[in-house]
Amino acid sequence: MSAVTVAPSRPGLLRRLTRDPGAAIALVFVVLVLCAAIFAPWLAPTDPFDNDLSSSMAPPGTEGLPLGADAQGRDLVTRLLYGLRASLAMGFFAVILGGGIGAALGFLAAFYQRWLDAPIMRLVDIMLSFPAILFGLALAAILGPGMLAVVLALSVATVPLMARIVRGSALVVMRADYIEAARATGMGDGRLIWRHLAPNCLSALFVFATLRFGQVILLGSALSFLGLGAQPPNPELGAMASEGRNFLFFAPHIAVIPSLAIFAVVLAFNMLGDALRDALDPRLRV
Amino acid sequence: MRTLFTLLLLALSAGDALAQAAPRNTLVVLREMDADNYDPIRSTARGSGEVVYMMSDTLVSLDWDMRTVRPGLAERWEISPDGKTYTFHLRRDVTFCDGRAMTAHDVAYSIMRWVDPANRSPVRWRAGPVREVRAIDDFTVEYELTEPFGELLYQLTLFFASIVDRNTVERLGQNFGTQGFNGTGPYCWVSWTPRQELVLQRHPNYRWGPPIYTNPAPQVERVIWRVIPEANTRLAALQTGQGDVTQYIPNIAIQQLRNVPTIRMSRQENYFWDFFMGFKVDKPVVSDPAIRRAINLAVNRAAIVRAVWFGNAEPATAYLNPLTAGYSAEAAALVPQFDPAAARRVLDEAGWTMGTDGIRVKDGQRATFLLYGLQTNEWRQATEAIQADLRRIGIEMRIQLWDATVGWGRLATQEFDAFVMSYPYISATDGFSLYFDSRNRPTPNRMNWSDPRTDAALETAKTALDANVRMAAIAEAQRIVAENNVWVPIARENLWLAAAQRVEGARAHGIYGVGLYKGLDIRLTR
Repeated sequence: MSAVTVAPSRPGLLRRLTRDPGAAIALVFVVLVLCAAIFAPWLAPTDPFDNDLSSSMAPPGTEGLPLGADAQGRDLVTRLLYGLRASLAMGFFAVILGGGIGAALGFLAAFYQRWLDAPIMRLVDIMLSFPAILFGLALAAILGPGMLAVVLALSVATVPLMARIVRGSALVVMRADYIEAARATGMGDGRLIWRHLAPNCLSALFVFATLRFGQVILLGSALSFLGLGAQPPNPELGAMASEGRNFLFFAPHIAVIPSLAIFAVVLAFNMLGDALRDALDPRLRV
Repeated sequence: MRTLFTLLLLALSAGDALAQAAPRNTLVVLREMDADNYDPIRSTARGSGEVVYMMSDTLVSLDWDMRTVRPGLAERWEISPDGKTYTFHLRRDVTFCDGRAMTAHDVAYSIMRWVDPANRSPVRWRAGPVREVRAIDDFTVEYELTEPFGELLYQLTLFFASIVDRNTVERLGQNFGTQGFNGTGPYCWVSWTPRQELVLQRHPNYRWGPPIYTNPAPQVERVIWRVIPEANTRLAALQTGQGDVTQYIPNIAIQQLRNVPTIRMSRQENYFWDFFMGFKVDKPVVSDPAIRRAINLAVNRAAIVRAVWFGNAEPATAYLNPLTAGYSAEAAALVPQFDPAAARRVLDEAGWTMGTDGIRVKDGQRATFLLYGLQTNEWRQATEAIQADLRRIGIEMRIQLWDATVGWGRLATQEFDAFVMSYPYISATDGFSLYFDSRNRPTPNRMNWSDPRTDAALETAKTALDANVRMAAIAEAQRIVAENNVWVPIARENLWLAAAQRVEGARAHGIYGVGLYKGLDIRLTR
């Protein structure tokens, strides 16, 4: 009774996904990153908060510190693992929350086109006019800086984009004969959306969520870089880059390593999103 | 045609380069931030003081040793036997920037303006318990107090006591110090573009500089105080010749700059600007003396100073710098030094038992407290290091650092349990009267420290006629505060002045944290 049974589960999805070597690398990398983030407490060699000022700013390759240490003398391998965990969790919750609400709005707008389409899409237009960074600043001022403010800001920034994508894709599905047929059998609205409309928009939704995940991590890191996100001593990639910025000329690794991590993760998710789009539904290709 | 174009391009780029470099006979001082205004009695900011010292003078000046009071606008002074009346004999050759001769009436006006409650000066108390300041004749001022105030001469060296021109003050009203200024200093106000630059022009008549300088008159035609908030940009500006001198050097760069042959570095050894953490002694958890003692024992000052200040500060082993007038070595010995094992013992004995989450608990109360501070590079790092030190002994410190624009307001509230701050002082009595007098609650006595014995000792330290009695009293105050661990002294910052190659005679002074003071010996060779 779940969406899985009707999801496009044609054989060879993985093979089509990995046809492109770039996509294959991206997929492997994403899996590795997810594992590293999930298992950070077991993988990390040290406690993320335990400092040792005597090895402050130790360069990469120092005995026992393969990536060096930050200004507080904390192992950067540990900080990176926990930072990834925080950044990915932030992206995950933002995409689930914002994407969920956005998708629901999109379905409603497409399904009840006559009554709800105009109000919902104007609301979406209004939301699109707020820059995410500005909204994050305002939220941080109200809630106090922290991960909650960032996740909320990123969710709000994701809602209108997801709503548009889903609405567009749902409008196409709404015109299909099987929707008419299902309606003719007397199927209720809720069931119609859940059983027939949603599953057929799933590929667009999934592709966009993956692409958005990378963007959200980038945006979240930017907000944390500005000091609105994770508060010290909690590691987060953007906050780590911000901490290292002051020592860029003297100990560049403190800022460069988390920045490279952000770059690699965002790139991998973008490539994976593209590959998913090609694999799931070539028609989506623009 | 093509050559013409190339020439034009060359000329343009050359013009651009000239606009970038510091102009001839103009000293470009680089600094981190601007002040809100330049009225001596209305601003407590160092950024205000550094310019006010150049635009005006005080009755007395302070020597490089930070202890000896030297003549300023007053060439000599007498103190009455009861310590309540100071008679200042003024120089006769002093004029304001507009050319008007300065007299005793201007001195009386400026000091009375400072202490007038209507003007709401935040530093009014520094003038002492003034009964009246009056002009006896054109060049003699009588400064009468209701009770003796041993600190008076030190306080009169601070820029708050600057002599200003009555006519200009009355003409500009609330805009004095933002739209114009008229003082007797070596440089005169030309223009101010807030958060960008403040331009000063040499005072042509000036030859009454403090005797601590070789030259009694300024050597440079113009001074531009330029604001460059970003540290690396400021350093680059200094090294490329766009700026001449700065005291706002990131700690990490000091060692590196000392090795740059084109930069001249000057250090002031007698510099009193300390970093500390204070506890609100009436708040839960930190009200427990055992907690405060344990925190003092747990903080590894030496490691923090090395990692955060890169050796350009000394660990503050006591509440005051040993070079300060009134420092008590006996009280300093009472300040706990780094010993985490002893810290754990103190907490165990006081009944704080380790909880499952690594934080101690006593009577259902977790050992956690909230710390406020200003968002600076040093504090960001130092508080995180302290946080890690305290976690090791089972105390949780939550950090909330604020931007300076809202931070001072937040630090005046009762929302927090502890705070970090740094401050300049001249003497032991100066620093302690500011922070530990119960009348100064809630700010600057943010600890809510209210102790009759401390108040009595401070009163004696300020008013006793006998210097020995004053010293004993201020030592007593230091002892009480140290025994109660009201603060955690953290670091004593050093003062460095970095100057470009064309600058000669730049020597770091450091009164109220101000690096250049009058800057009379500064010459530009190019």
